[in-house]
Amino acid sequence: MKNLFFLLSLIFVVSCDKKVNNSSIEPHLELVSFEIQVKMVEIPGGYYRPFFDIDSIKEVYVSRFFMDERLVTNQEYLNFLIANPQWVKSNILSLYADDNYLKNWKSDFEIPEGVSLQAPVTNVSWYAAKAFAQSLGKRLPTVDEWEYVGVADKSSPNAADNPEFTNYILASYKTGERYKIPVKAGQSNYYGIYDMYGSVWEWTSDFNSVMMTGESRNSNIKNENLFCAGASLTATDLKNYAAFIRFAMRGSVKANYCINNLGFRCVKDITI
Amino acid sequence: MKKLLSNAVLLMFALGLHSCKDSSTSSLTKVDSESIKTVGSVEVLKLVPPPLVPPPVGDRPAKKIQVMLETVEEVGELANGVQYDFWTFNGTVPGSFIRARVGDEIELTLKNNENSVFPHNIDLHAVNGPGGGAEATFVAPGQSATFTFKALNPGLYVYHCAVAPVGMHIANGMYGLILIEPEGGLPPVDKEFYIMQGDFYTKGKFGEKGFQEFDMEKAIAEHPDYVVFNGNTGALVGDNELNVNVGETVRLFVGNGGPNLSSSFHVIGEIFDKVYVEGGSVINENVQTTMIPAGGAVIVEFKANVPGDLVIVDHAIFRAFNKGALGKIKVSGKDNPTVYSVKK
Amino acid sequence: MKKFLIPFLLFGLFITSCTSNSNSNLPDDSIYHLTSEWENQNGEFMQLNKLKGDVVVMVMIYTNCRTACPRLTADMRDIHKQVGKANNKDIKYVLVSIDPEFDTPEKMKEYLEMYKFTGNEWLFLRSSDANTRELANVLAVKYKEISPIDFSHSNIISVFNKNGHLAYQKEGLNIDIDGTVSQIKKQFN
Repeated sequence: MKNLFFLLSLIFVVSCDKKVNNSSIEPHLELVSFEIQVKMVEIPGGYYRPFFDIDSIKEVYVSRFFMDERLVTNQEYLNFLIANPQWVKSNILSLYADDNYLKNWKSDFEIPEGVSLQAPVTNVSWYAAKAFAQSLGKRLPTVDEWEYVGVADKSSPNAADNPEFTNYILASYKTGERYKIPVKAGQSNYYGIYDMYGSVWEWTSDFNSVMMTGESRNSNIKNENLFCAGASLTATDLKNYAAFIRFAMRGSVKANYCINNLGFRCVKDITI
Repeated sequence: MKKLLSNAVLLMFALGLHSCKDSSTSSLTKVDSESIKTVGSVEVLKLVPPPLVPPPVGDRPAKKIQVMLETVEEVGELANGVQYDFWTFNGTVPGSFIRARVGDEIELTLKNNENSVFPHNIDLHAVNGPGGGAEATFVAPGQSATFTFKALNPGLYVYHCAVAPVGMHIANGMYGLILIEPEGGLPPVDKEFYIMQGDFYTKGKFGEKGFQEFDMEKAIAEHPDYVVFNGNTGALVGDNELNVNVGETVRLFVGNGGPNLSSSFHVIGEIFDKVYVEGGSVINENVQTTMIPAGGAVIVEFKANVPGDLVIVDHAIFRAFNKGALGKIKVSGKDNPTVYSVKK
Repeated sequence: MKKFLIPFLLFGLFITSCTSNSNSNLPDDSIYHLTSEWENQNGEFMQLNKLKGDVVVMVMIYTNCRTACPRLTADMRDIHKQVGKANNKDIKYVLVSIDPEFDTPEKMKEYLEMYKFTGNEWLFLRSSDANTRELANVLAVKYKEISPIDFSHSNIISVFNKNGHLAYQKEGLNIDIDGTVSQIKKQFN
């Protein structure tokens, strides 16, 4: 009798342990770090003029931070999945990604056919990108941080007023399977950062601060019904079509979308 | 005397009725069309590529219609040996012709191809509602959205993408036409064709071979390198020329996607017997050249009287001969010397 | 009989404890999968899954808002009135601050009192910037800080069913609340 009692309580303890104790922590958010080799570049702090001119504030200050010199690759995302299998295609919650999550991956741990391990990972949602960054003690860049680095061309930190640079960007916004282009394929910019243009779109931590909707024709007119205080956001330079395109892209996505031509990179705060 | 008087009264009564009848038929107001009930099951509209159009609605009652459009970005030919990055509805410039009648409830689904790089949407000038549908159909690559609208006004309307920067989306080919036929349908004709003019802006000059990028500065300055029908200098010439027979009545649904230029639309060798001015309900007759504003459309009708080539042009003539705004209608059949003959 | 009592007891414990995992029967898209911590108008901390079992009507605003939020809050008040008190213990009306720095528990409480939202069914929550961004993304709410006291944000009222599944949303101000009210009532069935 005593033996039966001990045996049953042993079974009870062993089998229920995991489920009962951790009911308050989401398995998806217990993130495990993993080995990664990516150079992070220190971006010095400075001012830049955001695309949407906020009333009297013409320039925004961006504090210095570290930025991945390139996009996150398929190889690195695969390593993330191996360390954190709760994020594989077959385990992920629909809260965190739509049906297109890693859509073209051949299986949970196999990257798509015809795509290099050194190509940027795509078909990942904002939640997944965030989790990847968090697992390494990093985060996604803010829109301001991305745009601040994005106004740099090869030779200067701020080429915003250079029409040739706008044309260069527009030319890079071409049709095609950009997810096949390996990272660092083009030239780096003034800071030594690659893949800002000519590759895939990138997630930002606050992409949902972009108030653009499908109705862009009245962006200089009050659209108060949908957006509180929306009237005070106007585009600083109507000729800056390249920025319009980027911001339209940000305005069109939701956090759980997984898109062929949308990937990400990480940044890190500089703590003294 | 009495008989004469009573006859006169009867006659005036009849005339009175007749004139009342005349004025009421053409004034189907928006309020009236709002109350038109749809009958029957939902019809999925079968779309065809330009210059073809779906069959006429005839005198069918108003129905529920489903239309599916997909935005596709792909490289195609703008002229011989010249490639361009087109942004399209359903893979063609212009996009497929949508055809319905007044009172129809149209459920439109817009899908953005998963390999697209850019978000898109659609604004149909036939829609009474915010943005013409633009707000409701803002789709990122791989996504789709649906909205429904009731066709309240008959006419020929433009549809186009309205995502910022709007000029660029239109300049790259994102436009098409939607026809809302009046009650009873348009009068039948023998042949119908769909043509849409557009101006294109490239980094290189007209005719410069190879892949040509979109030139934003030229677009803003309104200096196109190409002005074409149906997205290609060769879309309506050579093997692609339109074919009709002597004696046939022809209807052309002509739109102007712009983005910038208006069209002085003319068919060399023909006169338009009927012009539905600006694609609306007023009909002009015996017109040689008609204006189509950017973002506008027109319906023209004529009867092909003699065999030979008719040339479709934008009569701002350098556009026809130096920028590609040229198409051909080949009329086949027996000579008609009463109308046209050459002394040998 | 006694021979089987202990095993039966143990078996019973075994069964009940293995099913007490509160997240095991949540739908995949339930908002209660989020583990963010939120502070309410009373200074109490909680996770969102504390609301599990209630129908939740949620809106994101900030107390300094002079333009749309008063209207949005009034819409919440009208919805509350129309839904009625019948289901009050099964429903929560939740205001979430997009300006957590300024909207302290005191400010949040003041705001609720100003609108006479005094019942237990009213909650005003704030959390960190990152958690607020994340919740906004689940709600598809967009917002941007324009100045320290001025935010631009979308005006959306969201309705969650008792399991945290997003059942309905309505965007805009001065909206027709009848649709929202009937959707809320549906969640009680």
